Amino acid sequence: MLYYRVSKAFFEPVIMSLLRYSVFVAFFVSLVLLTVLVLQTLSFGRRRLHSRAEGKRWQGMAYALGRGMLPWEKESAARHLPTYVAGMIYHAGVFAAILSVLFLAAEIRPPEAAVTVFRFFLAAGFLSGAGLLLKRAVQPRMRYISCPDDYVSNLLVDGFVLSGLLSSLIAAAEPVFFILAILTFLYMPLGKIRHCFFFFYSRLLFGSYFGRRGVLPRKRPPRLEILS
Amino acid sequence: MKGPAALSDPVQEKIQSLSQEDFEKILQVFREKLDADAAAYLNSCVHCGLCADSCHYYLATGDPEAMPAAKLDLVNQVFKNYFSLLGRKLPKFAGARPLSREMIREWVDSLFGRCTMCGRCSLSCTMGINIFALIRAARSALAAGGLVPPGLQSTVDTAIRTGNNMGISKENWLETVAWLEEELQNEVGDPRARLPVDRKGAKILYTINPREAMFFPLSISAAGKIFYAADEDWTFSSANFDVTNYGLYNGDDEAARIISGRLLQAAEELGCRELVLAECGHGFNSNRWEAPEWLSRKAGIPVRSILQLVAEYIRERRIRLDPSKNPKLFTLHDPCNLVRLGGVVEEQRDILRHSVLHFIEMHPNREKNYCCGGGGGQLAMTSFAKRRIEAGKTKADQIKTANAQVVATPCHNCIDQLMELKKHYKLPIEIKTVCEIAADALVIDRPDGE
Repeated sequence: MLYYRVSKAFFEPVIMSLLRYSVFVAFFVSLVLLTVLVLQTLSFGRRRLHSRAEGKRWQGMAYALGRGMLPWEKESAARHLPTYVAGMIYHAGVFAAILSVLFLAAEIRPPEAAVTVFRFFLAAGFLSGAGLLLKRAVQPRMRYISCPDDYVSNLLVDGFVLSGLLSSLIAAAEPVFFILAILTFLYMPLGKIRHCFFFFYSRLLFGSYFGRRGVLPRKRPPRLEILS
Repeated sequence: MKGPAALSDPVQEKIQSLSQEDFEKILQVFREKLDADAAAYLNSCVHCGLCADSCHYYLATGDPEAMPAAKLDLVNQVFKNYFSLLGRKLPKFAGARPLSREMIREWVDSLFGRCTMCGRCSLSCTMGINIFALIRAARSALAAGGLVPPGLQSTVDTAIRTGNNMGISKENWLETVAWLEEELQNEVGDPRARLPVDRKGAKILYTINPREAMFFPLSISAAGKIFYAADEDWTFSSANFDVTNYGLYNGDDEAARIISGRLLQAAEELGCRELVLAECGHGFNSNRWEAPEWLSRKAGIPVRSILQLVAEYIRERRIRLDPSKNPKLFTLHDPCNLVRLGGVVEEQRDILRHSVLHFIEMHPNREKNYCCGGGGGQLAMTSFAKRRIEAGKTKADQIKTANAQVVATPCHNCIDQLMELKKHYKLPIEIKTVCEIAADALVIDRPDGE
């Protein structure tokens, strides 16, 4: 019994330190692999456009990352408002989990108010993520387009967010939070979680395409002015 | 509509007879057509499924195979199989599949047979994935393997061989123009009214959809009448008058380059300072936006839609319109290639507001308008005709809700599809081009005083 207590007292801090370092290493590895993935993507080659632009690319890009994401602009968001809101909250929960684990690993204690906000987003994020997973599993049209990676990614991230919430309440949950964070970071560039980067890339391309063609942002319909 | 349609026999046979070299060639072309933007898009899809009800095929049928995400996934499965680490190591887990005979069958069936490349799904996509461009990349690969459904391929072949997609001979074209010129002279009471052909140094080279010459001569007359009223300096080309370019749809960039290149070459040879495109959605997208990319050079002269020109005539008071000549209730169908993918959004509305007494918008409209189902080469692919009409229900419902008497649309492909929808869904409507409506409203002071 004494041996168990001594070894626990010795090994626990060592293991926790290892896990803390591993979180940062995994985060760094993830960033490196995402960079490699971006370079691999760029290796497909960019094409120089020759057609004369009608609108401004940057306006389209600003629209794509801003107003263009709002439900009254985006038909799919308006039609699927619960899913859209759940998606937004889920991603807020994921960002809260990432910040939480980095703070925790760095042994930085955020202000209590921030911890409360994190807890809210972690709880809401987990529920939203679980709801989206359920939707994927239950709806036939979602099952039709899903592959194992879709389920595993969602499960992994849900676990990461939930363990973040639990670790903010019970210290004993911290090792699980660290382990799930490491797994999430390492899996990020491999599976569909890579969209954490490619979302921004794609939205900018989308905005550039439609902005250049003068389609988006939609101009206010002008009244035809007759020249005298 | 569920399950694969009976692919046309030549395509089935071709798929069965594909050799290893053919597979390699198809894959090689697929790789060549993917640039960094395409690769980024393919890395982005999260299978959220929110694109589903942006597609008229899915809306009309509820068939999961018609979901844009499902169609995109067919392309993505192959991409993952060859170009992603997880896809190469754990294909089943990542949802990756090789380019097999079965996959090619699915590509032909869905990417040709369930998509009009209208781009509506991209607006709804959470990530903003340019789905139609990826589908065109896959169509290009299929074209390299000789796997384009025959009707669409023969349309391209005819255009390459004869200079226009309907194989109209130069003699027939010139006869048609002469006949229409005589009609125009009678209508405006001016023997000097012309439909000029090959006039060197004319400011504008005007192009038409060959269907106008064959089936819709009123569209040519309407443009001629507007040019006459505006006292425009313009001409047709005797050899290169076809605005269409089905290379956009079969994915064959080389064919597309030849077809669009001819129009620019004709304009240059005649010394025209502007290329004006008839009311044709995909013709506009092809010649205004894609041709410079196919040709790897700037167009050299402005390329505009006739709608932009007519709106300019109205603004500059070069023509006068009397809306009371069109007293019925009009609505407008926005062609996807002209509006959502082309950026010509308000000009047709400006023209109609000055040409008709009563105008009502369909909802949704402009860049969010539903595709009629006639794009993507669908009208040329008879093996998918049943699906095309079924998918057109979304547009038919939209028209019924608008409850207008006349549907205006600046696109002859859309007109053909709308005419079929009118018949099938029993829509009590007339269908006209925007210029036909504007021509009906023209106020022309006849020199003969009549």
